[in-house]
Amino acid sequence: MTDTDSSVKQTATADRAGSRRLENPGHRRFEWKSLGELGALIVLLVVFTALNPGSFLTGANVRTVLDQASQPLIVGVGATLVILMGSIDLSVEGVMGAAGMTFVLLSANSRHTVDLGPWAIVAAMLVGIALGLLSGLIHTRLKVPSFIVTLGVWFVGLGIATLLFGESAIPFLPDGSLKSWPTNHTLGLPNSFWLAAVVVVAGALVARFTRLGRFTYAIGNNEEIARDNGVPVGRFKLYVFVFAGACSALAGVLATLELGAGSTTVGIGNLFLTIAAVVIGGTSLGGGKGGILRTALGVMLLTVLNNGLILTGVSPNLQSAVSGTVLILAIVAASWPNRSSLRIVK
Amino acid sequence: MDMWASVGPVAVFIVLLAVVAVLRPAFLGGGGIGILAIQATPILLVAMGQAIVLHVGSIDLSNAAMAVLAAILLAKALGPLGAPAPLVCIAVVTVIGAVNGWLIAFAQVPSFALTLGTLGILQAASLVISKATTVYVTANGDLLSPLFGTALASLPAAFWVGVILAVLLWAMLRFTQLGQGMTAVGLNETGALFSGLRTRWLKVLAFALSGLLAGVAGVMIIAQGGAASTNGLGSDLLLPGIAAAIVGGTAITGGATNPVNVVFGALTVALVPIAAAAVGVTPQAQSLVYGLVIIIAVALTMSRSSGVVK
Repeated sequence: MTDTDSSVKQTATADRAGSRRLENPGHRRFEWKSLGELGALIVLLVVFTALNPGSFLTGANVRTVLDQASQPLIVGVGATLVILMGSIDLSVEGVMGAAGMTFVLLSANSRHTVDLGPWAIVAAMLVGIALGLLSGLIHTRLKVPSFIVTLGVWFVGLGIATLLFGESAIPFLPDGSLKSWPTNHTLGLPNSFWLAAVVVVAGALVARFTRLGRFTYAIGNNEEIARDNGVPVGRFKLYVFVFAGACSALAGVLATLELGAGSTTVGIGNLFLTIAAVVIGGTSLGGGKGGILRTALGVMLLTVLNNGLILTGVSPNLQSAVSGTVLILAIVAASWPNRSSLRIVK
Repeated sequence: MDMWASVGPVAVFIVLLAVVAVLRPAFLGGGGIGILAIQATPILLVAMGQAIVLHVGSIDLSNAAMAVLAAILLAKALGPLGAPAPLVCIAVVTVIGAVNGWLIAFAQVPSFALTLGTLGILQAASLVISKATTVYVTANGDLLSPLFGTALASLPAAFWVGVILAVLLWAMLRFTQLGQGMTAVGLNETGALFSGLRTRWLKVLAFALSGLLAGVAGVMIIAQGGAASTNGLGSDLLLPGIAAAIVGGTAITGGATNPVNVVFGALTVALVPIAAAAVGVTPQAQSLVYGLVIIIAVALTMSRSSGVVK
């Protein structure tokens, strides 16, 4: 969505394209650029520990931060792949709402609908996969830009959640093992974080070692060259959108478990946080450069920032401003060296 | 494409209105058009701002949040400042829009990402200024009451303000150098750049206009409701605004916008929930319907000449 007029781009920025080709994303993952973010995270940790000596670096708060980071970490895996491909997925909050509501209504709940047990999670994931498939099909077959398709699917998801919710009372999950699972500890850390860690590691392995991952980088780097080299671009774009839908759905189920009730807006705030985290991590919005582990670092950075600010006494109402400001600073800083008098960015 | 651009939006509105009139005859007789115009007014203003930004090939995800911020500021300022308050509030959000445009044009960042960031900041600003509650106008509320209190041809004055602004915008795009420069930027930004147009400043102007129109929308929200909050009247204008601009024939690829047709786009979008109810779709499906309307409208109307779609 960034550089459009390819012929001009190639002539005007030939030197930049040349240097870019040398930067194999696979081999550059942990160079100084990502150390910058790690350094920022350490600075934040030191500053907030100094400001809140008794409350910030305690076991309970570390677990709270890891628990808060788990949803954006999971959403971030799918979002990173979509952005690596050069597209964007704005639908995450809608998919989370639809999947979460499906999960509640198919589990044991205070409305006594039906209880499918673990199959409720499967059904919720299928809802996410279906919405991802919808985005992917409209984007690849009808050639509609991804930000418009996913903006629409965001509200389609919210609409599905609202329809499922209906007009009856709020469906609550019963107090029991399932509801407390995310915040229970295994080896001292919350289960929600372990789930997120598994998804992040799996996503990083997919991006690094599988055909899906490598083609995602190839499409993002230059879609026409990827197509000329025999990459089935449309099919793999579809897979990535389906994968992102599944990630959002899993995060929706997790968010619903943590809330303990069905809510259409269960995913609120996740879109901001993940897109900001992807960009801060150093994944380029133009596609082709970046990685899932970078996004994980970005999520941790933003979660620690928000948590630390609240502990320091800053109003929680300012949370979205913090993410928004960091997002703007990150995209401006990332694109600043690439500025050129002939560059076209939409 | 040309046929659609000139008469499509009007035709869609008339067809939808006919459907509603047949299924719910009471709608036309019971002053339904006036109510429709009232509901369409804030949508129209936000949609025109969005259309101008789409016209230069960008998108503004923050303009609906600007309308809410302007409404909250106005609710606070109308009492102490009196008559100048609306102008001050419009000026504030116009500056915010210009800053958006300046960052997008000169830092060369994608507009959807930057305005997503601004959206977050504006939402937080609205929450903090309103202290997360509803802000009521304390005095001088009668200054704005003529906007929805007086009617011309059974449509409220506020709607006519929107129509006049649409005609002015149309004239600007059609007859002035600035407007034609914007069209050139939307159709082929590289070509416009090579022709010596100041494309970056034209983008800044487009985003500033989006802010200005969002500010006027904020004034309308206060004139209509007398109060503002982050989740009250006018808080969900983003999607209807984009939908109205696109249904009004604005191409998301840029360069093709008719602000007068956006008036019919806004009327259609305001009519969609009423029509949906008339054909038996529950009001709860409203956001689902809006989401589908956007996707279908873009899929039907966008040109597909460029090779790579991201």
